[in-house]
Order: sequence, then structure tokens, then C-alpha cells
Amino acid sequence: MLDISFAKPSLPSSGALALLLAEEDVPGALGPWDEATAGALRRGLEAAAFTGKKGQTATLLAPGGGLAKIVAIGLGPRASLDAKGREAAGGAAAAALAKEEKAVLDARLAGGAEAAAEVALGAVLRHWRFDKYRTTEKPEDKPKLSALPVLTEEAAKAKAAFAPRKAVAEGVFFTREVVSEPPNVLTPAEFAERCKGLEKLGLAVEVMGPKELRKLGFGAMLGVAQGSANEPRMVVLRWEGAKKKGAKPLCFIGKGVTFDTGGISIKPAAGMEDMKWDMAGAGTVAGLMAALAGRKAKVDAVGLLGLVENMPSGTAQRPGDVVKTASGQTVEVINTDAEGRLVLADVMHYAQDRFGPRLMVDLATLTGAIIIALGHEHAGLFSNNEELAQQIVAAGEAVGEHCWRMPLGEEYDKKLKSDIADMKNVGGRDGGAITAAQFLQRFVQGRGTDKATPWAHLDIAGTAWTTKDHATVPKGATAFGVRLLDRLVAEHYEG
Amino acid sequence: MRLRPRPGGAPEGRPLILPLRGAAPPPFAEAAAAAGFDAAKGEALRLFLPREAVLVGCGDGSPAALLRAGAAGLRALWPQDRAAPERVAMDVRGFAPADAALLAEGALIATWTPPVPRAEPWPSPPRRLDLLCGEEEALRPALEAAEAVAEGVRLARDLVALPGNLLPPRAFADRLAALEEADLAVEVIGPKRLARMGAGGLCAVGGAATSGPYLVTLRWRGSIPADPVVFVGKGITFDTGGVCVKPAKGMEEMRADMAGAAAAAGAMLALARRRSSAPAAAVLAIAENALGAASCRPGDVLRMLDGRSVEVVDTDAEGRLVLADALAHARRVLRPAAMVTLATLTGSVVVALGHHRAGLFGSDPPLMAALAAAGEATGERLWPLPIGERHRRDLESDIADLRHCVPAGKGEGWGGRFLPDACHAAAFLREFAGDVPWGHLDIAGVESLAQAGPFGPKGMPSGFGVRLLDRLVARHFEDPHRL
Repeated sequence: MLDISFAKPSLPSSGALALLLAEEDVPGALGPWDEATAGALRRGLEAAAFTGKKGQTATLLAPGGGLAKIVAIGLGPRASLDAKGREAAGGAAAAALAKEEKAVLDARLAGGAEAAAEVALGAVLRHWRFDKYRTTEKPEDKPKLSALPVLTEEAAKAKAAFAPRKAVAEGVFFTREVVSEPPNVLTPAEFAERCKGLEKLGLAVEVMGPKELRKLGFGAMLGVAQGSANEPRMVVLRWEGAKKKGAKPLCFIGKGVTFDTGGISIKPAAGMEDMKWDMAGAGTVAGLMAALAGRKAKVDAVGLLGLVENMPSGTAQRPGDVVKTASGQTVEVINTDAEGRLVLADVMHYAQDRFGPRLMVDLATLTGAIIIALGHEHAGLFSNNEELAQQIVAAGEAVGEHCWRMPLGEEYDKKLKSDIADMKNVGGRDGGAITAAQFLQRFVQGRGTDKATPWAHLDIAGTAWTTKDHATVPKGATAFGVRLLDRLVAEHYEG
Repeated sequence: MRLRPRPGGAPEGRPLILPLRGAAPPPFAEAAAAAGFDAAKGEALRLFLPREAVLVGCGDGSPAALLRAGAAGLRALWPQDRAAPERVAMDVRGFAPADAALLAEGALIATWTPPVPRAEPWPSPPRRLDLLCGEEEALRPALEAAEAVAEGVRLARDLVALPGNLLPPRAFADRLAALEEADLAVEVIGPKRLARMGAGGLCAVGGAATSGPYLVTLRWRGSIPADPVVFVGKGITFDTGGVCVKPAKGMEEMRADMAGAAAAAGAMLALARRRSSAPAAAVLAIAENALGAASCRPGDVLRMLDGRSVEVVDTDAEGRLVLADALAHARRVLRPAAMVTLATLTGSVVVALGHHRAGLFGSDPPLMAALAAAGEATGERLWPLPIGERHRRDLESDIADLRHCVPAGKGEGWGGRFLPDACHAAAFLREFAGDVPWGHLDIAGVESLAQAGPFGPKGMPSGFGVRLLDRLVARHFEDPHRL
């Protein structure tokens, strides 16, 4: 992680300087920097037509005063500047300074201590890079920035405000890392092993293998796993941070298909490499648990990961197979590529049986249909609970991880009717993300009554990975959901 | 079939439809019990003793369930292999007038048969349906409205059912011109004038066909001095896909690619028939997306009616091109208070929502909420979908002001297979709606019946949109003080 420190303002006499400027600050409030550069800053910004517009950047080389460069970053009008805007500006600064050996970021014009912490969060989130497998990259092509002092009048307060954010960023990075790892490295066993490493944060981590899963009656999940040489795992991560003991915990459940070939219903070759991130739901839940533990959240939460690899082989499950889920309901497997819901069915049932949770949120890169429905800007949100759904949408807006509510209904559920078992695992192409959610809902205990477990399902197939850089999310694994659910917990379920 | 309110009990010797929300009444209780009849399941049960009757369950009592119950009741009395009895009765005592009207409307809609000539004609439906009620006067206005709306639905279904050869653009325009009979003002703009006007989208899409394109405006003056609500409909009489030709499988369904225009026309007829006080208009873009020497090509750049240039990527995404010109024309000529586009626009919306809801997009939250509410009230249900910043950004073109869709296979990730085309289409249309409050219904997937039932066989037109638009107008545009 980029090493962030907070410092009282002082004029650096070398290296690079990033300046965050609102529209009101240009050219009036350039102050000491303009003096230090003998007016060059003002002249340079004028020549670059820099107005402080949101997202605008201008780079001035050799501006004087010993500085190598000044990067000016626009915050937009101060009245509409919010946390997301400050994070984005921090992200833009990190991107602009990545190749510098020495740089400082002046965040004073973005606000006080909280603002400085938000800017810093944006910077670390953007600066993250996954390059452990690049062995021949030339040093000059690598990012050099390793530390970034952030200038603020309230350095001590900013440091305190940054601490919980740093913990969340650590969670995000855990997620991004496991999602980025190639599938030959990150098998279910290896994923579980890395989760074990989170014990140092105070999480209780249990790992269960095929023997335990058989005992639990996880017929659906084992059916998916049976084609692979890599054994399945279920990981249970527990965080007990609530002041009051014995309260019902929150359960977060992640789909963790470490590689999804589609199985016997094999996928087309083009783009199949993307299926290494078919474990992003589980990766997100693990990262979320790391974030909650890292910032010592006052909540009892349980993360459950269903980890399998979906391979075609002589032992793989076939279309037509009937499997018995842990809930006792039977499923006719029509398409072996609709495997995520089979894994989730067993894990969701187990989570409710064992923990009787206050609520349950599952995350899964579940369907292509959700991308055809919504694209890559919103995750699909399905829920049986109005209040929970609204809380999730609001938390997503606050951190820039947008969710869009999708419908559920009997008419969709009917499409899962099987001639031989309690249900099929697919309901056809039309409304494909909805029928997938209907399938999951069949494993929500008390469904259809007012005692139903409050449940939300996030279909993150379109948002777990990005092919473009965004303000605080570099190209690649996004960790979509970690910050959203951390915010959900912080806003509504702590104390 | 005509509806007639009739106070009092069931006349002897006439088949009776008995809609039920609970247990069957005494003379039928035993038979109902013997058959295991459950009103909540919405089934119909035909009985011959103690008299000829159909018990029909009202399901969950929702508007959709009532409409369906009315239809199921009528259908049970009228098997398709023989002519129906001349007069039938439905006992709606105990139902509120609005619910009784829904039952009657369902029965009326169920009398529809395809308008295509056959040597062996469709058996005729009953000529009259008596609605047994307490007070005749309380029911009459609701029944009149139901008849008006059902006539609109009938028109829409007739138009959609007609295949490409029987309803080419020219014939469609003629059918619409005939609506002058209903006191609608009709203006038909033909291909020459469209070319002169610069309707580049409509002309490019319709250029290869043997007739058309047309831009048809239907206007209902109403009695309130206000700007009209304007329905803008996609009327592709047949969609081959053009140069980007569709696969053969299922192509016959493309006769229904004018269902948006048909629904808009049906709604206008309904408003006229019930003498709505609200001023309203429909602008219908009518063309055949044919494959020929004059077809437009992928890569073509069109100059649209509003002056903007559009790069054509996929000629099978033609609906948004004709709608763009229709929206521009509506804005220019009609000063709309609000615009609603209706179109069988994308396969993407079917993947998103299946066959049970249409996609709802728009720029104006109050209008969108009104549309969604009208959908719930009529059982023509909608679900909102987003137009995100990135959907708009995806339409940036390297050569023109914008492109109309994203090339196949150029999606982000997953081998580029998955494109949010319904969102892209809506983002495209929004550009042409300007600052007029605008809502958009992508009705692909709901324009035809998803399964066989009392409204007809699977694949026949549903008339989706007519009842919803009529309700939208009744609820939101007939208030004289809305200015």
C-alpha cells in the first residue's frame, strides 16, 4: 500500500507537488505556491486553461522553486464537493504522481482532517497494482512512488480519520489480490489458506473440505466440485465485535468459483480467461471481513465462502443429473454452467441453519444476463426486504458502487419448474438474472412468510472487473462490494 | 360483443359467468367442492348443472387477475370449435364498478380473433354480454370506458397480427388515416416529403422497401387547453434486420415489430372513443426494414431530422433511428407536455426482464412513476432500468455526433459478448427527446402472449401498452388544473 503520512504544510523544495484546487481557488487562492514559484504557477495554470473543473488536471513542468513538477487537479465547485469527489481527486493525484520518486499532495483546499483522509483513501485505492508476475518489466516503466505525504492543517486528526479507511483499503486489496490471481495459483485450497492468514486481524477462520461438506449434505456444491482435481472448500470467517454478546450476526455469502470452464456445458473459448474472477463474490466477502476486523467494527458478522472449481472431466457432473441440496430440496442440473447458484444454495442454507442471521447478503458473479440488463455501472440487486434493499442502494451511492434493484416474482419462479426434481437450475435465457435470483430465494428460510430471513443478492458479474482505469479503481479487479457493505454495516448495524 | 348493464338476477336459460373471490355460492357449492375449485388459483370451471355456468376465480384480485378472470370466463363458454351462444351473462354483483369493468374488459378482449382472412372463418363470439349488477347507473360509465379501451386494444392487436405482406407501410398508413372516422385528426407524411424534411433516420431504414416510409401523426384535441401528451411509436411493419440480416429462426415474429406504433394508435382510439378531456397525439414512424439494393449499410453516417449525424453500426438496430426522427418531429410540431416512446426495441430487455414486464426508461422521474403506476393498475407491468453515464459514453462515435449502438462483440470483458443494448438504445433516444419530459417503454417480450391462455394462443398479440397509456392519460392528463 502507498505509505500515507499527514504533515503540516511546508514548502517542499524538490520533487513533485499535487495541488487540489476548487473552481473558487483559481486563480485567487494559489497563495504560497504561487509565491514559491515566483508567479509561475498562476501563469502556467492560465496557459493550460485550468479552471478547477471537476476531474481536470494540468501538469506544469519545472515550475521553479526547485520543484520538478506541479500537478493541479480540479475539485469542481466547492459547494458540490463530496467524499466521492475528494476520493476521486486523491485517485487522480496518485495516477499523476505514480512515476515520481518523491512527491507531496496538498489537500488543504479540499477541506479539513476528514477531507484529507478521503483524499488519501482515493490515492491508495488508485495506486494499488498487481505486478507480482511481471519479471522483465524495466525499472523505468514501474511506478516509483512508494510514499505520499498529504499536507493538511490538522495532521494528527487526519491520521486518526485515515486509520479506519486504511483498514477498509486493506480489505479492498485483499479482494483485488485474490480476484487477480490466476486460476492455477488460486485453487480453492489456496484461497482458503489465504483466508487463514486473516486470523491475525482477529477473525476466527474455519475451513471445511469435502469430508465435512459431505457430512453437511452439500450435494449441490459437491456436484459442481466433482469434476475438478482441486478439492472444494467452505470457509467461515467470524468477527465478533458487537458490544452486546449473543446478538444475531449478519451473514455475507460469496460465490467462489476459482475457475469456471462451464463444466460439461463448456463455455466458448473467447474471453474464458475472465473466468478466473468467477470467485469475486467470495473474494469480496473475505475482503469485507478483513475490513470489518481491521477497523474493529462493532458488529457480529460472518463471512461464508463456497470455493470450488468448475471443470469438465470424466468425473464432472452432467446435464440431467439430479442433486440434493443441504436444505433437502432437489435440483435437476440442466446446465452445468449455472453452477454458482448451486454452490450458494448450500452455503446459504448452512449460514441460516447455523447462525440464524439478522440478515443475509450474497454476492456472486452470477449471470451474463445481468450485464445485458444493466451493463457495467450497476450491480443487480434483488431482495425480499424493502428496508435492506434501500439501505444497500444508499450505501452504494455513498461510496460510488451503484446497485440497481431488479424484480422478483412468482411468474419468474415458475420457470424453474422441473419434471423430475423440485427445481431446475436454469429458467432460460429470458430474464436470466431474475430466474437465478429466484433460484437462490428458494433457499431463503421462511420464504413467503413474514419470518423470512431478510436477504439481498448482488449479481456483480458486470462490476467485479473493469477493463478501464477509473478514478479510484485501476483496471482489473474492482473489489466492488467491499466498501459498499462496509458502509452498510457502519451506517446501520454497528453499536 | 356489446356490454350491457342489467340490474337484478341471472336470466334463466342463458349461460352465466360467475367471477368468484371466495367460495362458490349455494347452487354451485357442491359442484365446486367436487372439482376442488379454488378461486385463489384463478381457474375456470365449466358446469352444466344446476345450470350452464362458468365459475372463474379472481386469483389475487389484482387488476391483471380480474382482467384474466373475465377473459377466462368468456373463453370457457366459447370453445374455439363452435359458435358462442348469442347472449351470455356475467354476475358482477358485489364487485366495485372499476373491478366489474375490468372483468368485462377482459371478456371483451378475449373475443378477439386474428383479422387474417381464412376459408374457414373463426367462430363468432357472443353478441352481447349482460353484466348483472345492483345499480345500472353506477356501472354504466365504467363499462363505456371499458368498451372504448377494448376497442383500442382490438385495433392494436389487429395491426400487430397482420403479417408483413398484408400490412406493408402503405397499408399501415392507410389504416391509420381511416381513424379520422373516430374524430382523430390524421396527418400522413410520405417518403418524398420525409426526404425533403431531412428525416435521415426514417428514410434510411425504410429506403429499401417497396412502400414507405411514413410518419403519421394522430391528434386528439380533448377539451382542456393544454399541450398534448405525445406517444411516439415504432412501426417497423417487418424487420429483416436489413443488411445485418437476422437469423431465419423466429424471423416470422418480426411482423410484430410495429407493436409500439400499434399500441400508440390503439390508445389514441381509446381516448377518442371515450371522449377524453386530455389533448393527446401520437407520432408513428412507419417503415419496413427490408433487405435490398437501397438498404442502408453498417458504417453509413446519417443526418437525422434534428440535424445531428449518426453512425450506423448495426442495421438491425433500426428502431431507435426511426424513433429519433419521430421524437424530433414531435418536439418541433406538437409542443408536447410529455413524450412516451413505445417500441419493441431490443432483445436485451427480454434477457433483462423476461416476458412479464416491459422495460421503463426516462428522463423525468414523476412521469416514470406515473407510467409505472399506470402499469400496475392495468396489469401491464413495467420495471425501471437505468441510463447510466457509461451507457451514453459508449455511444460516442469517431466520425459522427454519435453512434446508435455498440458493435456486437465489443462489450467489456467476457469476450465482449454481453451488451446492455436496451440501456444503450434508451440513452440514444434520450438525446432526441431534448428537454421534454420523456418516458420510454421497451416492450419487446411483452408485445406477444408469452403463453397460451384466455387471451389467445402463444405468440398472438397482447395489445400491451394501450390500457396502460389510456390509464396514464386518465390519471395524469385529464385534470383541467394541471397547468
